[in-house]
This record gives sequence, C-alpha cells and structure tokens, in this order.
Amino acid sequence: MAAVQDGPMELDTEKETKPEILSDGTSKLSGNAASGTLSSSPLTAGGAPKQEDQQTLIAVLQFLRRNKLSESVEILRREAGLEDQEDSQTLDGSGGGKGDRDGGEANSLLSRVSITSAAAPQSTLTPITVKRANEQLDVSVVLSAYSQQGDPSLYQVYYSGLKNFIESVLDCHRAELSQLFYPLFVHMYLELVYNNHENEAKAFFEKFGGDQECYYQDDLRVLCGLTKKEHLKGNEVLLDFRTSRFVLRISRDSYQLLKRHLQERHNNQIWNIIQEHLYIDIFDGMPRSKSQIDSMSGSFAGEARREVNKVKVFHGLLKEPEIEVPLDDEEDEAENEEGKPKKKKTKKDSMGSKSKKQDPNAPQQNRIPLPELKDSDKLDKIMYMKESTKRIRLGPENLPSICFYSFLNAYQGLTAVDFTDDSSLLAGGFADSTVRIWSVTPKKLRKVKSAGELNLIDKESDDVLERIMDEKTASESKILCGHSGPVYSVSFSPDRNYLLSSSEDGTVRLWSLQTFTCLVGYKGHNYPVWDTHFSPFGYYFVSGGHDRVARLWATDHYQPLRIFAGHLADVTCTRFHPNSNYVATGSTDRTIRLWDVLNGNCVRIFTGHKGPVHSLAFSPNGKFLASGSTDGRVLLWDIGHGLMIGELKGHTDTIYALKFSRDGEILASGSMDNTVRLWDSTKAFDDVETDDFTAATGHIHLPDNSQELLLGTYHSKSTPVTHLHFTRRNLLLAAGGYSSQ
Amino acid sequence: GAHAKMASPKTVPKDAQVMMQILKDMGITEYEPRVINQMLEFTYRYITTIIEDAKIYSTHAKKSTVDADDIRLAIQCRVDQSFISPPPRDFLLDIARQKNQTPLPLIKPYTGPRLPPDRYCLTAPNYRLKSLQKKVSSSAGRITVPRLSVGAVSSRPSTPTLGTPSVQTVGTKVGTPVSLTGQRFTVQIPSSQAASVKSATPTTPTVQNVLINPSLIGSKNILITTNMVSQNSSGDSTSLKRKHEDEDDYDAL
Repeated sequence: MAAVQDGPMELDTEKETKPEILSDGTSKLSGNAASGTLSSSPLTAGGAPKQEDQQTLIAVLQFLRRNKLSESVEILRREAGLEDQEDSQTLDGSGGGKGDRDGGEANSLLSRVSITSAAAPQSTLTPITVKRANEQLDVSVVLSAYSQQGDPSLYQVYYSGLKNFIESVLDCHRAELSQLFYPLFVHMYLELVYNNHENEAKAFFEKFGGDQECYYQDDLRVLCGLTKKEHLKGNEVLLDFRTSRFVLRISRDSYQLLKRHLQERHNNQIWNIIQEHLYIDIFDGMPRSKSQIDSMSGSFAGEARREVNKVKVFHGLLKEPEIEVPLDDEEDEAENEEGKPKKKKTKKDSMGSKSKKQDPNAPQQNRIPLPELKDSDKLDKIMYMKESTKRIRLGPENLPSICFYSFLNAYQGLTAVDFTDDSSLLAGGFADSTVRIWSVTPKKLRKVKSAGELNLIDKESDDVLERIMDEKTASESKILCGHSGPVYSVSFSPDRNYLLSSSEDGTVRLWSLQTFTCLVGYKGHNYPVWDTHFSPFGYYFVSGGHDRVARLWATDHYQPLRIFAGHLADVTCTRFHPNSNYVATGSTDRTIRLWDVLNGNCVRIFTGHKGPVHSLAFSPNGKFLASGSTDGRVLLWDIGHGLMIGELKGHTDTIYALKFSRDGEILASGSMDNTVRLWDSTKAFDDVETDDFTAATGHIHLPDNSQELLLGTYHSKSTPVTHLHFTRRNLLLAAGGYSSQ
Repeated sequence: GAHAKMASPKTVPKDAQVMMQILKDMGITEYEPRVINQMLEFTYRYITTIIEDAKIYSTHAKKSTVDADDIRLAIQCRVDQSFISPPPRDFLLDIARQKNQTPLPLIKPYTGPRLPPDRYCLTAPNYRLKSLQKKVSSSAGRITVPRLSVGAVSSRPSTPTLGTPSVQTVGTKVGTPVSLTGQRFTVQIPSSQAASVKSATPTTPTVQNVLINPSLIGSKNILITTNMVSQNSSGDSTSLKRKHEDEDDYDAL
C-alpha cells in the first residue's frame, strides 16, 4: 500500500479537462490504482449522478483497501464495472459497515445536520447535488477519521524518537526536517483526542507543546482547550485542518534521509501518519536554511505546493483608451501624455502605434466583459490626466506630505474608511451600523431634488445638471442608515455614483451618491462580511466574509457571479488587481490567494504571514502585491513568479492600511500602533530584479534590509490608522478614529 | 476603554476566579471587568438551557434521572440551533465549482444605472396612496385628508429599520370641522424617519412631512403629520431615484 491516500475530491479534478488543481487545495492523486479503475469503468456521457456514484465508489474502494479487505476490494471492483444498482447496494452495505466505526455514525449524523442547515439558504442547488455533497462529506469525513495507530501511550515514545533522530542529523538537513514537528504534533494530538484518550492527549501536549515554533503558539493555545472529541465537532477550522493536507517542502536529500530512518524501524507509525496527513513537496536542490523556512511558514496548511504557483497570471495593465482632449486649455500643451492628440497630426500617429504593441503580460481587452466608457467617464479621465501632470514625483529624497483626518467623538466605533479616487468624498463606516459621507472639498453634498421639484426646472438649460441638485438640503455630511450591524468596510465606485458597504449582518449594500439612499442589498454571505471592494472600472465588486469564501458580484445581478472558495478560515481582505482580471484575498488562515475572475480558479497562494492578513495593496504597475497582517510585518510578493521578494519589519501592531503611491515609488503602511511608515518600494523591487531566482526551487534568500527601506515613521496622537490614500498629485491622506487612551 | 482592574482575590467569588483563569489560559489579558460578569451570565444561561433540555429528553425516554446521554443529546441539538458555523469546505468547493462554470455575462451598453430587477432592489416605495378626497362642498375651513392605505407592494426585502406606517382612515363626512375633534388620527411614522427628519436620508423615496392647517384642529386632537408622496407621484416615484438621462424602459429589464 505504497500509494498515498487521498480524499474523494481530487477525482473531480482528474475528470475535468483543465488542471484545476487549486480549487480544493488537497493533494493530487498519486495512486494510480484508483484512477485506473476510474478510467476503466464506463462513464456514460450524460450521467452526472453516475459520476457521483463512481466517486463514492472509489472512496469506498480506498477505504476497504486501507483496511486490507483485499477480497472485498476485488469483488467490489469487479462488480463496479457492471451495474449501478448493485453498486448502490454494496455502497449501502459498506455504509452500514462504516456506521459501526467509532464515532463515524455521530459524525455522519452531524455532518448531515450541518449540510441541511447550510443548504437552506442556497436555493440554487438541486436536491441531487445536496445529497451528493452529503455522501461525499460522509465519506471524506470517515476516510480521514483518525484511525488508531498503535498504542496511545507509546505516542510520546514515537515522537521523542523522531525528535532524537532529527536532532542527530546534519545541520543542513535539520532545519528542513524540523518542519515536521508541528504538523506531526498536531495530528498526533488530535488523533489521541479523537480516539478518546484524553489523559494521554494532555500528557502528550504538555510534554511537547512548548517545543514548537513561537509563531504557532496561538494555534496551540486553542488546541490545548480541545480535550474531547465533542469539542472537535463544531470547529470548522480544525475539521479543515484534518481533511486538508499540511504541505511541507523538503529537499530530496533530506527526504531520503527521513524515509530511510522511518522505514527501517519496525513500528512505522509516524510514517503512516505522514502518508495520510502530510503532503511532502520534494524539490531537487540545496536544503533551505532556517530563516528561509521561517519566512514562508506560518499558515494553517503549511506552505503552498510549487505547482500551485506556476499558472500564468496576466498581471499587466489594460491599455488606456484613446481620448480626445479639448485643445482650448493652454496648460495641456506642455505634457506629452498617452492618448492625448497632439496638434501635429504626425505625432498622434506615433502615439497610436506605440500603444498598439501588446504587453505579453497583460490580459486581452475582452478577457472579461468590462463596462464601456460613458461620456462622464471620459470627462473623468481627462481630469485625471490633467491632475497627473501636476503630480509630484516621490522618492527617498522627496517624501510625501501626510494629511491626517482624525474622526473625533467616534467612541472607537470607526470601523472602515474610504476616499474617492479624486479625494473629494470621504466615507466612514461605524459600529453603530451607519455610514457617513463627508465632503473633503469645500463643496457641499447635494442630493437630487424630489420628483415634484424636478418637474419644475427648465430641462433645456445648459446647467441642468446643477439645477437638479437640491440646494436647500446641502450639507457637509450625510448619514446613510440601513444596515443592522457594524459596517466593516466601505468602497466608492470609480465614477463616484455609488458606495458599497458591508456589514456584520451579512449583506453588502449599494448606496446611491446622487440621492443618498440605499438601492440594493446583496444577500449571499449569511455571516459577517469583512471586506468589500469595487473594481477599478466599476460594475464588479468583490466581498469576503466569515463563511471563508469571497464572492464576485456585478451591480445588476442579485446573486454572485463567482465564488472563490478555498481558504481555510475567514476572508478578511479583498482587493481587485488594477486590470480587474484578478482578485486577491487575504485570510485569517494567514495565506493570500490570487483568484482569476474569468473562471474562479485560484492561481497563486502566498504563505509567510504569521497572523491573519488584514490589508492588501497592488502596485500600480500590477506586478507586485504588498500585504500586512497582525504580526506587524509587510510582505512583498512578485505575482508573476509567485514568490516573496521582500519583508518590511518595523510596525509593532496590526497593519490595517497599505497603499502604494501613484507611480509605485513609495509604499505607505498604517497600523494600530498609531504610526504611518513610508517604505522605498522602488529599491525593494529593484533589488529583486537582478537576483537569480533559481526558478526550480523558487527559494530566495531575503536580505534583512527593512531598516534601509524605511524612509520615515510618523506618529499620530493616539489615533490608529485605518486607511491610507494617495491623491492624484501624490499627497498622502490618512484617516483614523481618535482613541483617547 | 478601562484597563482591567483585578479585584483582590479574596473578595472575588469562586466562579469569577475560574472565569478569570479561563480567560488567562486562552491568552486574553486585557478586558474590562464587566466582561467577567457577562461571561458568567452567559455560562449560567447556557447551562440552565442545556439542563432543562436534558430533563425533557430524559422524561421523554421515561428515565427517572437525567444522565450523561441526555446532556450529550441536549448539547448536540443546541449546537445546531444557536451556534451555527459556516458551511463545511467540501460544500463550499462544490457550489463554487458550479457557480464558476457559467461564463461571465456580457454587459449591455448604455442601460443607465446597472441595478438588479426592481424586485431585488430597495428602491420601491413601501406604501402607496389611494385615490384622493371625495367630493368637496364649498364650506370653508374643512380639512379633507387624503386617505392613506398601506398596500403591500410586491414581495421585496424589507429594510429592518423601516416600519410600515399604519393609518386609521378618517371618515370624511361632509360636515363641520367639529366631527374631526372626536377623532384621533394616528400615523405611525417609521422611527428612522422621525429621527432623521433633520438629516436628509430616509431610506425610501423622498417624502415630505405635511402639516395640516392647525387652525382647524380642536383642543383634543393631536397634530396630524402624514407622509405623502408629492402629487405627481404614483407611477413616477421610481424615477426619483434615477438620473434624468434614464431610459423609459428601465423597468422592463
């Protein structure tokens, strides 16, 4: 039984023509026997239910095989090719057999209960699908049930045996093999708990809990509170930990060493555990050093497998459309901007030809449908270009000025802030479920007149757009009421017509900024929605919440268009890529995933944070991603290569705000420690360009140059920084709620 | 916020000491002192609920005492009700796969504000006016109050903060104003609107608070404020929400 065991999920991936290996995060099917069975059995074309039966059948086969019931396996396999009725009978038969297992019954009962309660809100699912998910869950739960691996009291012996071995190994291998400690520890502990050996579990924990790495201590604290099997049942995160496989990257030499050691001993319990619950991604090359390993580890499921990050990502920007600029302004002549027609015709042609060359890294213009530019959008773009000519060039010698907006008297209720792109409006979301909008400029906020008054105005006049606005109720700020829980995120649309807000009540609301009323409530998450973000072109928006998925919506569809599922814990932060083709999500499971909007696939997984990720920022050129988390570090990622290229240490508390300057030269980060820090991102990315990536392993040695990259630290008066925004001229705006302690 | 002020251990009851220890074990070091009380209240409520449920199960099973199985069953049932956890990962992956198979819909050009069909929006008024007053005689000084009736507009998600105004229709007998004195008109204004009269954002179409001429109101009457949508409303009220470059066939979407 050399084949590594898998749950039934990856059989799906085998069937699909595209290699969607990332959509479920479990390992690839490496055992060939099961897939051989799959291909040999006649799969009818139209039978979706038949395929599901086949899957559960394969799962049962694996189960029988694992328990060494080889005759049953043969019989089942023989009959599986023939008729389905018998299969379902044998399925029930073995289902009954499964039910006898310790805890299996209660598990399946509970999982059925949890499925049906969860299935209710999803009205789009047919009953067949629900039942299929039911069966699959039963099977996977049972398959991954912790079976007894020998005598529980000897677990400590096994573990210390392994520990001694690893400590005796050569230095270069020791760091890599030490990665084994944590996942093995957790799985062995959970196994003891699951099989009701409470005392042994506690003793095991006490003896070896303290040895683990410091960044796992929070997880261990949660673990030590779980001493009974019943505690495990409600805990989704641990269930996921159990069913998904912890990924370790070990060099081939170290792996051989380990394998040889474990297989030569007679009680190879640890080897069994490794095979069942861990996925070892072997690479050829130099073993990694401790610091390299430390920088990449920390997430719930270990690191990301290498092939996960090999999908091609189109990180380039979309071409700007050509816009005619009216030539009556004198000041426009000086600059030579893309798209602006020059007075001499020949120059315009040369501009046109330059922009025709396609960036190989950029997606096609029509890869995803995008809204066309309206006249008002074109006017906006012209304003944008005019403003950008007055933009200050930032750099290490030329730091931006920072303007800090402190929210007074918010009583720590300020939970979200957003600025419009032209910095004219500011929205704040509060814990009392209101959203307030302020005008940053002296111009007051006006809403459209009522129908009666609109009838009276002169519709033919030139300034009709001004006349429809109601002067009588103009005010500095407006309050939007509608949510029934704290508002955790606000996001303006790029055309300044709409505002999105997401809240603990599970809805995302779209507000009109013309009338300051609520237009739509998007219901889909039934749990708090932690973050929402409009696409840079409008129309699409993404939201992420406690139900561990991010959803892509369009403003004119009441149901989501895409569901990005794969995280092991809540999705806390969601951002669009500047070309609107990809969405980045940061999560409490300490990973960042990049999703393709076109087909919902996960194209990148970035691990390395040691705490929940709370802020994300794409660089303006689309190539890099910066992320901040509760561990106070900002990590920089190269999207194209899928690697970590920088680590910025300095903050001492959670980083909730990250923004790149308009040309990407400076990265600003704001945190709960009441500071805003500016980092030299040009330098951070430049250093990387010249390095040798060693693409096979993808392991870079990160220089510890946070101090060189830090350009400035600016303290506020006891106000944590909630949001950062660079104006079009590169002035930095910051916002936070003043907290008096 | 206040820093945690630990009462001296001697004066703290044992339950609270246990709770403090639990919080410390879970790594929580800073909390307001009231948190202990709240946690204890929660514990007490939870345990009594479980034990009561267990008692019901044990009498149902005709047992003389409550035993561990009853408690276990009670806990399991409560967990499903009160502590609902998000759906399991397999399920999510499944529905994600289904949802992600359909291609992204094409975007129709020039359709005005891109919103879902009206049924799914919160833009409809949640009441409508019935026809206005009956025939009016020329005697002066009489109020005719439009009859308001609350019609249930087609099923749409109602905002939690908005209540439906309820009205007692006024009997507009042709007669003297005296007949009004005996009647009390009550119109319940949704509380959010009452509160936000000064601010400008009710959550539904703009309404105006209209004051009926107070000179006609006798001593016993209360002031009538009715929410009336302005005269040329009914069909057009939805157009309030739109920019005026809208298309007429918006509702056909």
